[in-house]
Amino acid sequence: MIPGKYRSVSGRATNNVNCGLHLVIQTSSLPEKNKVRFKQVEFKLNKETPSFPGRLLQHDLERNYSSRQGDHINLVSSSMPSFPILQRSSEEKILYSDRLTLERQKLTVCPIIDGEEHLRLLNFQHNFITRIQNISNLQRLIFLDLYDNQIEEISGLSTLRSLRVLLLGKNRIKKISNLENLKSLDVLDLHGNQITKIENVNHLCDLRVLNLARNLLSHVDNLNGLDSLTELNLRHNQITFVRDVDNLPCLQRLFLSFNNISSFDNVSCLADSASLSDITFDGNPIAQESWYKHTVLQNMMQLRQLDMKRITEEERRMASILAKKEEEKKRESHKQSLLKEKKRLTINNVARKWDLQQRVANIATTQDRKDSDSPSQDPCQIDGSTISASPEETGSLDAGLTSALQGLAVIDSHLVEVDGDTLSLYGSGALESLDRNWSAQTAGMVTTVSFTFIEFDEIVQVLPKLKIKFPNSLHLKFKETNLVMLQQFNALAQLRRIDQLTIDPQGNPVVNFTLWKYYVLFRLSHFSMQKINGTEVTQNDMIMAERLFGILAHVASSELPQYRLISILGDARKKQFRYLLETKGKKPGIVNEENNDSKRLVGENTNRATLNYTTRDFYNEKLEEIKEKKKFCKMYIEDLVKEATEINMKNEALQKLWPQMFIELVRDAVIEIRNKNSYMKLCLQQITDQK
Amino acid sequence: MLSPERLALPDYEYLAQRHVLTYMEDAVCQLLENREDISQYGIARFFTEYFNSVCQGTHILFREFSFIQATPHNRASFLRAFWRCFRTVGKNGDLLTMKEYHCLLQLLCPDFPLELTQKAARIVLMDDAMDCLMSFSDFLFAFQIQFYYSEFLDSVAAIYQDLLSGKNPNTVIVPTSSSGQHRQRQVLGEASMEGVEASLFYQCLENLCDRHKYSCPPPALVKEVLSNVQRLTFYGFLVALSKHHGINQALGALPDKGDLMHDPAMDEELERLLVQVPGLVNSVTASPEASCLPSRTPPRVGSPWRPLHHSRKVDAESDGSTEETDESET
Repeated sequence: MIPGKYRSVSGRATNNVNCGLHLVIQTSSLPEKNKVRFKQVEFKLNKETPSFPGRLLQHDLERNYSSRQGDHINLVSSSMPSFPILQRSSEEKILYSDRLTLERQKLTVCPIIDGEEHLRLLNFQHNFITRIQNISNLQRLIFLDLYDNQIEEISGLSTLRSLRVLLLGKNRIKKISNLENLKSLDVLDLHGNQITKIENVNHLCDLRVLNLARNLLSHVDNLNGLDSLTELNLRHNQITFVRDVDNLPCLQRLFLSFNNISSFDNVSCLADSASLSDITFDGNPIAQESWYKHTVLQNMMQLRQLDMKRITEEERRMASILAKKEEEKKRESHKQSLLKEKKRLTINNVARKWDLQQRVANIATTQDRKDSDSPSQDPCQIDGSTISASPEETGSLDAGLTSALQGLAVIDSHLVEVDGDTLSLYGSGALESLDRNWSAQTAGMVTTVSFTFIEFDEIVQVLPKLKIKFPNSLHLKFKETNLVMLQQFNALAQLRRIDQLTIDPQGNPVVNFTLWKYYVLFRLSHFSMQKINGTEVTQNDMIMAERLFGILAHVASSELPQYRLISILGDARKKQFRYLLETKGKKPGIVNEENNDSKRLVGENTNRATLNYTTRDFYNEKLEEIKEKKKFCKMYIEDLVKEATEINMKNEALQKLWPQMFIELVRDAVIEIRNKNSYMKLCLQQITDQK
Repeated sequence: MLSPERLALPDYEYLAQRHVLTYMEDAVCQLLENREDISQYGIARFFTEYFNSVCQGTHILFREFSFIQATPHNRASFLRAFWRCFRTVGKNGDLLTMKEYHCLLQLLCPDFPLELTQKAARIVLMDDAMDCLMSFSDFLFAFQIQFYYSEFLDSVAAIYQDLLSGKNPNTVIVPTSSSGQHRQRQVLGEASMEGVEASLFYQCLENLCDRHKYSCPPPALVKEVLSNVQRLTFYGFLVALSKHHGINQALGALPDKGDLMHDPAMDEELERLLVQVPGLVNSVTASPEASCLPSRTPPRVGSPWRPLHHSRKVDAESDGSTEETDESET
């Protein structure tokens, strides 16, 4: 029933409702069944917020005036073919001079209303009218009700400059138009129509209530100019986003229930509206989200009611806490993705450098081969400048990450990553990280070491360090490390222990050899490896390895002369100790290390100990060193040979000359002795001469 | 010992021809390098060991390529060492690529050049698809020819090119007559000329052998090779050389092709090693040759050292005992 506040004053006195509308309200008995015009649904706002004063209650007003159907109305067929003419008895005219009710009259057209120029209220509810016509003369009209008709177009209103309330609900209107002259319009009700777009309302600066519920709106904009709008009802549409609401300085209530809003960004203008205090979102996809309530509360601090429920302080507090948490989470994940991206870029960078290196090295070796017999591969000087991320890569990042990364002046050229039990090294610069002070716990946990984009020869040099710093490393992985020779596996023998070995075919040509696995098993048999490249090592594999290469080991150990054995083994040990000394410095602790190591070396299958690997650089260095010695040796031997040949020549010459010399000696002697006496005299003479 | 031709040479040249100086220089060099270690057990012993190993052919193990290439004896020793070490690979039946064989070579000589291996592979594969797989015996015999006679082959190649380009006016363009081994080895590509005339080729080679200071295959055997055919290509010639038993025997490094996989002494040793493989349950099936066959002596023509597999005591330390064994074999 009608709330007491709005119960009308008896008599024909105009009652000023606070909004400044002049309306005649009369009390009279109301046959209820006539007044089911406004379904509760449309104006439930009226019912539910009774505390708000100064609102217009059309339907209450409607109820207040009597209108018994058809009692005092005469519809006379006129001379004009389609339009009936309305006439009222003069008694009626005097009694109800400013209002006329023609509801449920089965009207299909608006009748011509004669002699009623003072009319202020006209009610055409529940008819079948298709066009608004014949009311242009009612220029004092303030209230026009055409609810529940069949009107397809708003028209015929251009003379009704005083119109304040226009009710066109439940019609077939497709477009808002022809309202230009209705500048005093206070309430515009267009619910239950087929309107798809808000337009042509920008001049209605007095409009306070706009009802566009149950239409076909898909978005809300074009609301500027509605400077008095207090309530906007947009329920039951297909709205996905809302704009322009912040241009409504007086808007207090906005009903968006049962639309298609799914993200707060689509209604972001609501946050900027200082006047909004009441909003509904129920029935939208957004209301199903877990973050719905606190996001709305957080963004619209001015709200007092959400979905028809008061917002408590508690709720507001919760909302701000949750919002902060969300912010943190987002920041975290942003940081994480930033880190990941950086990692990815670094790895790409390293990969690119590696590629470049390989290509240059390849060109160099083919040139070398053409030049000389024994190619000595000098490592080519690679341009050491760091390469920044190329544009095509940054293009794949989203804008936030890109800007953050460009803040990094230089992208790393190597990457070291410890992830639980795996130590990953990318790029040769990463090898230096082995010198770092690793905490005992971290180092102890590492069981897998993975090398990528590093030359194997460089890795060989740091293997002793690896042995010391990461004693529990059991699994080694090599990818893009340029393993090309079986020999290189010899270098792995110096480690303490290897359980698993993974050689990725990418970048390691050695995997293409048929025999590589057997060679590894053979050379590293003292490790009793369990897996190679993921496959278990079987007894048969070990046997085959031994069968294939056993003789090599035998030859290498037993057939080498002793001095060679010592020199080869000595070399290897010398090298290892050299590394140890370099890394650890002269700490007293090393002495034990060395002893232990040497003991362990002996433990290794000495059969194979002579199979060593020296990196090409070292080998060439060694050969260079030997050159001097060789030259000296050559000269020395030459001298010896010269001496020997001289002596030989002299010897031969003597051999040739001796017979002759002998004959001459004999002849001389015979000639001397021929005369015994003179010989005796000669001898005595010689003796005396000697004295 | 006192052959007249030996005495006819002046001293230095005699020494050079027998490469004595090379070994002397190398010995002294090794001495210098390992001064500290060797001084511990005496220089005399060092020299003994050194020259013993030269005799046995083990001196080239893990040495640099320049040394291995220095004398024919070194080369032959190297070939033999390669055969002995990797015979098992061949026996296993694996076919390997050129790169892998090169890897195996590098296990014994770290700086062995790739070109030689490539050239050897070319002999086997006739320049097709260098990534093709080769059998151990094919590769080994081709490698033998290429490595041992590498300078000779270079000169032969030059001669061949000359003949091909028609320096000798007698070159006739005639399709090669069919001859068993050579047919499938014809050079593809140049449709006009197919090889050179054999007799002409032989004449040039004979001249080469006479004046060449590097080692050449015995001319008589070369003649034998060339007498079978009218015309032949360069690679055809090389293939014939590599497959010729006589040349192989003349070289004296490797056994005959049929016996390539046989090395009873080593097989015995291998059995012993296999038994030591940790965790072995069943004894490995003994290869039949290991126990029964007596060791053979491939005929050696003028080779300065004794075949090693004669000495049964292979596992003995090489600290002088081999000396005695050698004496006993003389």
